[in-house]
Amino acid sequence: MTITRINVGPVHPSTGGVVRFVVDLDGDTIVNVEPHIGFLHRGVEKLAETRMYMQIPPYTEKLDYVAPMAYNDAYVGAVEAAMGIEPSERAKHIRTILLELQRIASHLFSIGLLSNDIGQMFTVFMWAFKDRDMVLDLLQEATGSRMFYVNMRLGGMQRDLPPDFADHTLDTIKYIEKRMFEYAKYMEKNPVFTERMKGVGILSREQAKELGVTGPVLRASGVSYDVRKNNPYYMYEKYHINAKTMQTGDNFARYKVRILEIQESVRIIKLVLKGLAGSEGKAEGMPVKLRSPNPVNRISIVRRELPRGECTMYLVADSQKPYRLSIRSPSFINLAAVSHISKGARFADFFGILGSLDFVIGCVDR
Amino acid sequence: MKSERKSLLAALSKMKSEGFDYLVKITAIDYVDHMDVVYMIRSIGDIESSKDEIVELSLKPTDLWLPTVTNIFPAADWYEREMSEMFGIDIKGRNASRLLLEKWDGTGYPLRKSFAWDAPYKTSEDKK
Repeated sequence: MTITRINVGPVHPSTGGVVRFVVDLDGDTIVNVEPHIGFLHRGVEKLAETRMYMQIPPYTEKLDYVAPMAYNDAYVGAVEAAMGIEPSERAKHIRTILLELQRIASHLFSIGLLSNDIGQMFTVFMWAFKDRDMVLDLLQEATGSRMFYVNMRLGGMQRDLPPDFADHTLDTIKYIEKRMFEYAKYMEKNPVFTERMKGVGILSREQAKELGVTGPVLRASGVSYDVRKNNPYYMYEKYHINAKTMQTGDNFARYKVRILEIQESVRIIKLVLKGLAGSEGKAEGMPVKLRSPNPVNRISIVRRELPRGECTMYLVADSQKPYRLSIRSPSFINLAAVSHISKGARFADFFGILGSLDFVIGCVDR
Repeated sequence: MKSERKSLLAALSKMKSEGFDYLVKITAIDYVDHMDVVYMIRSIGDIESSKDEIVELSLKPTDLWLPTVTNIFPAADWYEREMSEMFGIDIKGRNASRLLLEKWDGTGYPLRKSFAWDAPYKTSEDKK
């Protein structure tokens, strides 16, 4: 057996950021993968110790630049838990809607890039990015920005939703719902796609638990855990979410879980939109001032289901700054499993596996 | 749940046999006079049930080492490596592995409170 060592990255179109993989091959079969991370390490956890509470959201947003609002919500949620602030009913409705829209946008991004990675060039990529843009239009309407929002405030949002937002959202998500069937029809009947997805990169249920993977990757291996279902927050307490699982644990299952989750998000948004009109309370949260209220809890632990998986914020609060902010990022632990998943796969399938794991390097490195 | 270094492995093994077989995160907090290490573990039930548990222990700043828990939770691998690089906690019993985050030119452990966050960054060029 001769081992060939191939270097992938640090800059490579399929790695979704700056990360380097050292791949050991026996012929065409992967024997070992060693990920080298840290190229995008910005020390956000350390920076957070030096800033006032509401100066930090712009940093936490940049951790995952594909789904920034979700990260922001996790951080603001942790600060709210530390200060004993509860968002109003209306703010909870708005957050749920915007976070689900963010999830749809993020999953579309991932599906589009995945289809490119496995060689089904450009059709689905263009579809997904066009549809994602329609969702971003909605987020822009609600927040004023397309990419980085910084619209979470303590106890609410920066501002209420514009008057026509509910109608526009309904139109768009009905369209997205219809599109999901078209995606599935186009991709799942295409041998280029299925041959390279089914039975490739298998992660068994036991392995998935042992390696601690999270989010769609965990659910694709048949473990039914979703923070929105198991530790519900916001409107998920009222409108129960179904954790979408697949049993096979291969590339195809990971892709399929994302399609199913988009459909589930559409269902939840429709329900929450119905409740939005009658929801009570003020949507606006506390204006951003340098001084914020003093925390009542020293340690707060907040769990949120981001598009990529579970984020746990462990916040040790001081009077005006965090004493320590520990972020459990979903991409970090999903990437750690890449070596186990790709062992035995062919080198050409490696990029499909990377695409199906859907990690963002900003989130891995922090 | 409070634990101690000498009973850590036994406590985690016991919890794993009780169904807490999913490791969420390992992290540390530097309180200057002592350092806390937190193990967040979870039991994922079959239907709609899951329980979260925290095992924490304190270390003296002069005596910073821990046994590895990768034999119990393989997911601990990257968390332990990150923790030892960021806090300088020596993890004993694991195979020597390269630095997880790429090598940098500075010295010290960035997430310790004694590490000055605003110290001017020096590249290897500056030091020559």
